[in-house]
Amino acid sequence: MNEERTVHELSGSLEDYLETVYHLVKKYRFARVRDIADDRGVKAASVTPALKRLSDLGLVEYEKREYVLLTAEGERQALRVVARHQVLLRFFRDFLQMPDATAEKEACAMEHSLSNEGMDRLVRFLEFVTLCPAGASDFLERFHGCARVQESVASCPHPCPTTDENLTPGGIPTMGLNKIRPGSQCSVVQVNASGAVRQRLLDLGLLPGVVVQVLRAAPGGDPIWIVVQGTEMALRRKEAEAVLVTASTGSGARNG
Amino acid sequence: MGSVELGRKVVKVALAGNPNCGKTSLFNALTGAHQNVGNYPGVTVEKREGTARFGDMVMELTDLPGLYSLSSFSPEERISQDVLLKREHDVVVVVVDSTLLKRSMVLLAQVMQMGANPVLCLNMADEAALSGQKLDLELMRGLLGFPVVETVGHRGGGVAGLVDAIRSAWENPPTKSRLVLGPELDKAVAAIRPMLLGLPWPEEVHDWVATRLLVGDRDLFGKVMDVKGGREAAAEAARQRGILESTTRMDAALFVTERYFGFVDGLLREVIIRAAREDARAVSHNIDSVLVHKVAGLPIFGAVMFLIFWATFSLGRFPMEWIESGFGMLGGWLSSLWPDGSDSALRSLVVDGVVGGVGGVIVFLPNIVILFAGLALLEDTGYMARAAFLMDRWMHRFGLHGKSFLPMLTGFGCTIPGIMATRTLENERDRLVTMLVLPLMSCGARLPIWMLLIPAFFPQAWQAPILWMVYMGGVLLAFILALVLRKTILSGEEAPFVMELPPYRVPTSRAVVFKMAERSWLYMRKAGTVILGISVIMWAITSYPKMEVTEPLLERCAGVSGCVEAEAAKYSIAGRIGLAVEPVLAPLGFDWKVATGMIGAFAAKEVFVAQMGIVYSITEGEEESGVLSQALGRDYSPLVGLSLMVFLLVGTPCMATVAVTRREAGSWKWALLQFFGLTALAYLLSLTIYQIGSLLM
Repeated sequence: MNEERTVHELSGSLEDYLETVYHLVKKYRFARVRDIADDRGVKAASVTPALKRLSDLGLVEYEKREYVLLTAEGERQALRVVARHQVLLRFFRDFLQMPDATAEKEACAMEHSLSNEGMDRLVRFLEFVTLCPAGASDFLERFHGCARVQESVASCPHPCPTTDENLTPGGIPTMGLNKIRPGSQCSVVQVNASGAVRQRLLDLGLLPGVVVQVLRAAPGGDPIWIVVQGTEMALRRKEAEAVLVTASTGSGARNG
Repeated sequence: MGSVELGRKVVKVALAGNPNCGKTSLFNALTGAHQNVGNYPGVTVEKREGTARFGDMVMELTDLPGLYSLSSFSPEERISQDVLLKREHDVVVVVVDSTLLKRSMVLLAQVMQMGANPVLCLNMADEAALSGQKLDLELMRGLLGFPVVETVGHRGGGVAGLVDAIRSAWENPPTKSRLVLGPELDKAVAAIRPMLLGLPWPEEVHDWVATRLLVGDRDLFGKVMDVKGGREAAAEAARQRGILESTTRMDAALFVTERYFGFVDGLLREVIIRAAREDARAVSHNIDSVLVHKVAGLPIFGAVMFLIFWATFSLGRFPMEWIESGFGMLGGWLSSLWPDGSDSALRSLVVDGVVGGVGGVIVFLPNIVILFAGLALLEDTGYMARAAFLMDRWMHRFGLHGKSFLPMLTGFGCTIPGIMATRTLENERDRLVTMLVLPLMSCGARLPIWMLLIPAFFPQAWQAPILWMVYMGGVLLAFILALVLRKTILSGEEAPFVMELPPYRVPTSRAVVFKMAERSWLYMRKAGTVILGISVIMWAITSYPKMEVTEPLLERCAGVSGCVEAEAAKYSIAGRIGLAVEPVLAPLGFDWKVATGMIGAFAAKEVFVAQMGIVYSITEGEEESGVLSQALGRDYSPLVGLSLMVFLLVGTPCMATVAVTRREAGSWKWALLQFFGLTALAYLLSLTIYQIGSLLM
């Protein structure tokens, strides 16, 4: 378990340096202090102590002033770091569907803090999800259907939990459209319905920011009759409940 | 583009538009009677096609089902998307309601994104002008880059201009799309587009396909995944969706819809010279404050319904009598072509089989014409949507839709027009559930059966309550069955009740007559084809094989009137089938006579009475039902009577019902399910009643 200790001795910043050296060596066959500094966005002066430390650990050859090469052990360690980075990047980008730049940042932040065991487990899990033929890929697809920002979506078989029921991200108090008294107005904050209902509501102009007027309810209270951007439509209370509105029709509201 | 046929240019045109935008009126104004109405294969969605000639141009028109957008959530949307993706049409006319420009032009944006060659048709221009709205059409044409015309579809106004616009669009298709949906979407679409090369869609629709993949259109995803190279495209779309959603902080479906609205908003801001007055719908609102009033709304609806049914069945009675006597005379005249006393098989086929069978169906035509005129009026004025609004709460509890109420009520008159009236339902599942349970509403043809059976088995005082229970029992069963169907074979995502409530409009006689004539014609055509065929079969199995009238038989029958006929009935195929199924029906308390009557009931419910008359040797003129009633009361216990009534109420929908369900549901599957499902249910119910009843007695 000697190697493990070696790895642990490497601080996050040293790992980053090792990784940078690895990439530069891959690209140019050697790394220069100036390139390392550029790549990491630091001054050349701060690179030197790090390289010295790596050299002390026997991971890089830092003989001449300018050129840095990886030792065999250094390359092995670097490969580990790079591989971790790739796995984490894949996890954030492909599994969690984050945009490239954000995924890269998250991967960088996480790669140093994971223990070898944690990393190992994660890799095994990701391999399982990717390779296990039955069920797993389906589960991932379904997850992708659900893991959407703000609102639940068409491809999600069950409506997904969204933000706090009574608070929108902006902190405005909201309620279901079903709670609005006939004869009054409100403005749409979020359409929480899913699938066909949601698309139909959107198509009819029930978009966030739009003013909705509740005209009346049918005898017995259900369905309700609303006006949205000039279109009059009937909506069951159940569907209306999924439309979050705010009673204020103030500044942000958009009138049809 | 287009082909040339005998020196004429053939232009394929599709009409697309929101429900209630007057698209079908325009279609009718363009094609007149040259149209063909059917169903898209396997679904209940109506397929309407027609041709029209204008000078050297022959237009082949397709009227797409009414839709709000081209997503694929409803069968209507899916079908329209599929049709447009094939790009078979040279021109796509987008019909919009000029009084609701903003919402209805979203569809135009989508058609533009599909790379179609569009013409924008601003329908109901008269109403918009009346509301004070004024548009700069010239500017609109310039901004959009294709023809824009105003029409008044239900009066046929502006049709000539529309034809010219179609011609000009066909001759000069727009060179590039003026659709602007913003950089975020463009970027995502641009990233997905290259992955679509090699997939089976023409390049013109790639923007559209990419956008639909981006918003996660399930139908299109399925199609993409099935083709080679599709997985990569889907994966890229999923990735782009992630990027789009995190950069815009909105989910893709919402973002894309907002972009369409944004484009329409921008366009309208430019071209609206004067906006409609705020109170443009004031008249409609005033009417609504009475017609959908919290308290008065339901009684008014009840009164309207009553009026329509009263008209249907009381005004319809006179022409019905004429038709009946007409067919009687026709039968008499036809049979006089043969020498007196002839037992020619052909005469019997023509007179009893064809004239009798088809006449029995056509006799309902007056009912159907009046009823459909009434329904067309309700639909075209906009009251139908209000009725659904009023009734939905009660219907919904049983998994039905507010609009199911009307067809079901119609079913009390006759199941056939009821099933045909399910067309007013937008959603396929709602339509199927309503259609499948409709035969449980005790139709007018079953009334003679109740009039025969109830006095046969029940004392005077009980008769009215029993009749009421028969009707209510049917309704109750229909609702329970609807609920069961919803929970089982027709389960799945509940159909949304998001129904547009169009303003009240004065219907034009032209539109109402057209609708009425069309549906009546569909009914007539059915009578002339399937029902004719089944009538002949029914005739054959009740008359063949012929029994030889022998001496011993005559002796046995001496003095008993109709006895020979009864023996002949037993000898016929129908009689033999009755005898054959007797063991199956015995646990319900039925014998072969009842079974034979039921075969008659399949032809038409009221034939049961006639058939029982034959097997009971009751000849006409002998106060038919009175004598027959007594005979039945003598032969069977009231328990058998009850079991029989339940069976006739629930089981074996008549042949016309089966044929119409097959037509309206678009496949035999549903018609057969309805027939055998209801019959099985009837069997179980009658079995339970008879067996438990027998134990108790």
